[in-house]
Amino acid sequence: MTTPAPAATVRDLHVSLERDGVRSEVLRGVDLDIARGEIVGLVGESGSGKSMLALSVLGLLPDAARPHVSGTVRVGDTDMTHGPEPERRAARRTALGAVFQDPMTSLNPTMRVGRQITEAGRDREGAIALLGAMGVPDPQLRFQVYPHELSGGLRQRVMAAIAIAGRPALVVADEPTTALDVTVQAQLLDLLRELRDDLGCSVLLITHDLGVAAQIADRIAVMYAGRLAELGPTADVLAEPSHPYTAGLLRSRLSLTLDRSRRLPTLARDTLTPDERLTGCPYRGRCPLAVDRCAQETPELRSSRPSPGHGAACWFPGVTVRSRVLESEAPAAAQPAAQPAAANPAAAPAVVVDDLVCTFTTGHGRRRRSVEAVRGISFSVAAGEALAVVGESGSGKSTVLRAIAGLVPVRSGRVALAAGGAQMVFQDAGSSLTPWLSVGETLRERLAPARLGRAEADRRVAEALAGTGLPASVARLRPADLSGGQRQRVALARATIVRPAVLLCDEPTSALDASLAATTLNLIRDMREELAMTVLFVTHDLAVARLMGDRIAVVERGRIVEIGDAEAVIATPEQAYTRALVAAVPEIGVPR
Amino acid sequence: MSTVVLPRRGTVPVLTGRGRSGRTLARVLVGVLAALTVLALLARPLAPDDPVQPVAAPQLPLGSAGHLLGTDSIGRDILSRTLFGLQTSWFSALAVVAVGLLVGGIVGVAAGVAGGWVDSVLMRITDLFLALPSTLVAIALVAALGPGLTHTLLGMSVVWWPYYARLIRSEVRALVTRPHVEAARLAGVGRVRLVLRHVLPGAVPTAVVTASLDIGNVVLLLAGLSFLGLGQPSPAAELGADTAANTQLLLSAWWVPVVPGLAVLLLSLVANLAGDGIRTLLGTRR
Repeated sequence: MTTPAPAATVRDLHVSLERDGVRSEVLRGVDLDIARGEIVGLVGESGSGKSMLALSVLGLLPDAARPHVSGTVRVGDTDMTHGPEPERRAARRTALGAVFQDPMTSLNPTMRVGRQITEAGRDREGAIALLGAMGVPDPQLRFQVYPHELSGGLRQRVMAAIAIAGRPALVVADEPTTALDVTVQAQLLDLLRELRDDLGCSVLLITHDLGVAAQIADRIAVMYAGRLAELGPTADVLAEPSHPYTAGLLRSRLSLTLDRSRRLPTLARDTLTPDERLTGCPYRGRCPLAVDRCAQETPELRSSRPSPGHGAACWFPGVTVRSRVLESEAPAAAQPAAQPAAANPAAAPAVVVDDLVCTFTTGHGRRRRSVEAVRGISFSVAAGEALAVVGESGSGKSTVLRAIAGLVPVRSGRVALAAGGAQMVFQDAGSSLTPWLSVGETLRERLAPARLGRAEADRRVAEALAGTGLPASVARLRPADLSGGQRQRVALARATIVRPAVLLCDEPTSALDASLAATTLNLIRDMREELAMTVLFVTHDLAVARLMGDRIAVVERGRIVEIGDAEAVIATPEQAYTRALVAAVPEIGVPR
Repeated sequence: MSTVVLPRRGTVPVLTGRGRSGRTLARVLVGVLAALTVLALLARPLAPDDPVQPVAAPQLPLGSAGHLLGTDSIGRDILSRTLFGLQTSWFSALAVVAVGLLVGGIVGVAAGVAGGWVDSVLMRITDLFLALPSTLVAIALVAALGPGLTHTLLGMSVVWWPYYARLIRSEVRALVTRPHVEAARLAGVGRVRLVLRHVLPGAVPTAVVTASLDIGNVVLLLAGLSFLGLGQPSPAAELGADTAANTQLLLSAWWVPVVPGLAVLLLSLVANLAGDGIRTLLGTRR
């Protein structure tokens, strides 16, 4: 029996890279076949090595990191790891296409879109037809423009057009939807699937979101610490996850059906050092099932179990994994979330926004343009209540928050805050902390007006850090020494060390992995209850909004189109815009 | 004669770019500069003879007993003159760069933080200075004020600060829009403290690195001015003046102009390389 040769074959791939003089192994023995016309979803958290696998397939590992590679990657007949560079380049031109996360940096800003497509192997008519096929409206016109003149979604479509212009056998898409709004994300996923259906090309879709992979992938490969933890047909992996990590990911996924009254389930924090990860199962530090054997022997991906073509690198049978991880709630998750004291409608509202208008002006003289980011928004939030503000990027939702914080000027209208003022948690915690100040200095700064003694200030700092689950020793560290999750905790500690009346959260979890996001959301909910704060939570993700807000306000183009009780807005959306947002949340049926 | 070079801002230091060995090399380079500074500081105790008085027969060759680098046309010890000249050149260069950093820093921070019309006014004044041919202005100023080291330094400082004002202003402009500055504003940090603690430290590495790369330029300009007779009046030792005054001896007693000339070369080379090193050392901390 002959089966057609796969589009790409990865065999026992080991890759190590050097960074700051330290060599570390980012891929530790990966085997993966991508059949012709197949979509493989590669899922993993940041640092799991999934992007390095993509770069290995493309033969584009960064030279500056002096990669050491063993094992093989074959695309068609070309060895992408050790083959001669001219051959690899030819393979990239003819057999491979790539879509990267940030289309603005991957497109050449000095070249018209059309030329970039024709460069990849189409004539003018073909390129325009291709743009049209990619769902770019008015392709004749778009052919002539520069990348900066396009929106993010259109840029990503142009990237996709370039990727398939040479009729590749395999398209490698590395987090193609991460930078996009949910509605655009859904369109792009449909597009990738259509590409496969129409052209028969294979797709390696790399994502940190199991839900995205679940939507279009034929098979799912779950990656952990440079190895495949689980591999199998999408339906099997979702219905019968057989690795504790996959099961944990499924359980900690934010969805529209999670129980709002409970704490969000999260994965345990990793306790292993990089050296310890070299022997045994790399996941054992976070695994609730870990036994002595896991530390001594490394489980291999066995494909015969639980069903043909579906395998997990775990010593335990899938049934055990599911019964112990998926169905039994971890003790922390079983605790009902603290119920915030019901907002008292009689009390004075903590935030009143009345007909708020914010405009931005750009350019000078004749080029002067003014853009209305917020066009008359009114709402009020009772003391102790949480309001989630949802909208796509550019809808003005962040501007509302920043106007309330006083960070952008208010054109007209009124913002009133309860005594105690507002503090804000920013989207990118790392850049919201001053890099050269230690955590302790950053926190003490907030206490400066109170004129506390040194000892008292230190005690308050330690207390605030403890409140966010950080040890007091963190106070001596700088932001660069902290992990992403720790930085978000420090940002939260800064916002709450002096209790504000209102806590403003600007997408605090959108840059975090699923499990870390759940941990942060739990923390914000805890602190809200503990400090009796009013919370305004801006997000693009309705699943997050539903968990964080008592009410949800949907913002479109600077106006509130719908506002109401969280469950009601999601169950019975009145506006088409809201319905589109609800439909765009990637859902997967999870056995619970 | 030196021309003023605009601050360069490449991404990777040329010599000390990569990894751990690069950092070691960077430390060595900074160490060499420090050693040179100590040498300049200790010119008086180290110099074997008085730099201004003739102490031996004129034009003694290199390696003469008691006069390692020979003597000049009127019998002054070249080693002593070079050490004192090093002191003058090196500390003059430091002074010019320090004044430039201070004035340029104040103007740049004020413009960058205030923005709006303050920014426009300050930057147009800066542009005015940048538009003048700096070397000619320095020469004209010194000629008008009369020769003398203080006047030379004053003349040079006047043309030197606008570069730093431009540089620091653009750094500050970029820094004030960063989220951490907004976060600090929201945290109730006062305006002065905001600038001093949350904005300025971010501009320091660039400013320090540019300044250290600039030392070489200042040394060369200073030597150039002295060469034209606009530096320290004779008989005081100054590297540029010594090189210039003795060029006619190049064929008969070549070491007399070449030794101070080599000292200028060494000083500007070491300052430039150390600037590279400082960039490496500071870069890894951010």
